[in-house]
Amino acid sequence: MKRKLQAIAVLLAFGAVKLPLEQKITRDLRQQKMLEEPIHLGVGEDLGQAGLAASLGGLRGLAACMFHLRAHVEFTNVNWAKVDSLYKLVTRLQPRQARYWDEASWHMAYNAASYYLYNQELKPALRGQLYHDHIKRGIAILHEGLKFLPDDPRLWQKLGELHWHRSKDFKKSGDAFWNSFQHGGLGFTERFAAYAWAQSNDLESWKKGYAILKRLYDKSGPTPGLVEHLKMLEQNLNLPASQRIRAAAAVLRGQERQTGPLK
Amino acid sequence: MSDAPTSPNTEAQTRVRFSPRRVWTLAMATVTQLVRMKILAFLVVFCLLAVGAGFAFSVINPEQQLNLLKSVTLGSLQIFSIVIGVVSTALLLPKDMEDRTLYTILSKPVPRFDYLLGKLIGVLLLIGGGLIVMDAVLSLILWLRQSMLFEDAVARMQMEKLDSPEAVAQVREIVARQGLTWNLHWAVWAIFLKATVVTTVALLLSSIASSTLFTIVITFCITIIGHGEALIREFFFQPNLSGMASRAATLVLAVICPDLAQFDIVDSVVSGEIVPWGAVYDMTGIAALYVTVYLFVTHLLFVEKEL
Repeated sequence: MKRKLQAIAVLLAFGAVKLPLEQKITRDLRQQKMLEEPIHLGVGEDLGQAGLAASLGGLRGLAACMFHLRAHVEFTNVNWAKVDSLYKLVTRLQPRQARYWDEASWHMAYNAASYYLYNQELKPALRGQLYHDHIKRGIAILHEGLKFLPDDPRLWQKLGELHWHRSKDFKKSGDAFWNSFQHGGLGFTERFAAYAWAQSNDLESWKKGYAILKRLYDKSGPTPGLVEHLKMLEQNLNLPASQRIRAAAAVLRGQERQTGPLK
Repeated sequence: MSDAPTSPNTEAQTRVRFSPRRVWTLAMATVTQLVRMKILAFLVVFCLLAVGAGFAFSVINPEQQLNLLKSVTLGSLQIFSIVIGVVSTALLLPKDMEDRTLYTILSKPVPRFDYLLGKLIGVLLLIGGGLIVMDAVLSLILWLRQSMLFEDAVARMQMEKLDSPEAVAQVREIVARQGLTWNLHWAVWAIFLKATVVTTVALLLSSIASSTLFTIVITFCITIIGHGEALIREFFFQPNLSGMASRAATLVLAVICPDLAQFDIVDSVVSGEIVPWGAVYDMTGIAALYVTVYLFVTHLLFVEKEL
């Protein structure tokens, strides 16, 4: 009996000592990005995260992989609602994996949106509506992912591409590409930010875009894309001839075919 | 000054000291015992799983494929190590009692602590050996897959005329980050540390339990709670927590259970994070502390146990 009491005493004493130690190690590991920071998204969401963490333990990655494969099967079955709900589960399980947010958004904004746009069985008005709804869903997914990963260049880049190719909101596209570049994105994201700003309707964006493109032009010389967008900005900003670049303006191509219904 | 002669019992007690050699003999006997239980058949299942995860899903992109391979295999390594640790530890003591081996061993001058330590080291050797083999298989498949996937991706980009130097560099960077790195082995080390802590908890429970099932069920419950211990602890440390009952309940759980989430670096490794030395020291240190204290408590309980 004496030994049992000793055992309980040791266990309790150790418990009291270990709590601050565990707290410190957990904090250190979180700082080193080895463990995930606790996520606070409201009570319901917190409880969901806590439940998942406790019930799946270290197997959240494995569970996410399984649901990801199921989502891929539903993608091949063209079941978009199921794809969306499965990716919601996957991103809840692994909210810090940019890849899952990227893929979830891609499925909605490109695959599902195009599927509805070209679906001859639907009425034209409904096709346009569904096309735009799924683009919005794709954008919403990326915004949600950016709440968890605000410094991820990949998600910012994807948001820039989405606004460029799908919603045609060039100001937002430029802002997103610029954020990608600021957070360590590849070199082309800076150039693409300026290209997007050049096509926007915002004076401040034109100025920012011009500053970037002029610097790149002075540094690395003329390239077709650079010259085309610089000429566009010179015209938009109404710059005097003396400040304009010497390179010849690029031959404007014919307007590309519209892929989606007109807004 | 007393000249009383020392009794034979006292002499025997002074002679029986902790012996690493004896512990090693007991550990090897435990390994043999577990191997005869055909526990290592799991290795074959693992190899099939790794090959399947590595080569079965060719439709998805290189990053997805390498990620999937690592997630599936590292996840199964965790399951393997924890299940083997809990079940084999829960089985060992009752089996030794049933076979009367325990009485044969303890009737000799073998301290009970040596016996416990020998059993623990035996189970850990088996888990460690299994993990090394599986780590080697995983590394080989990952290395093969990573080279194949990079070549495929570049060939596809060339075919579609999308092989700009930036795009190729991006693919190379993604494949290198998701491919074979030292971080993968640190993830396996973290899995081993977690299994070691869980096995020690199982040994502790086994020393007081009356049935194998009790040990297995309670250890799995503690393992599940242990993964949420950080949340319980943070809840306890909240200054505005109301109600003594809530505070007492969270305190009891936080004090009793080890924080197993500290060893969950697998997700970070799968997503390509680099494991710093500080993290390895922290995890190893806290695991050593858990094992030392839980083993000492087990000894206190087992030394008084009537066999």
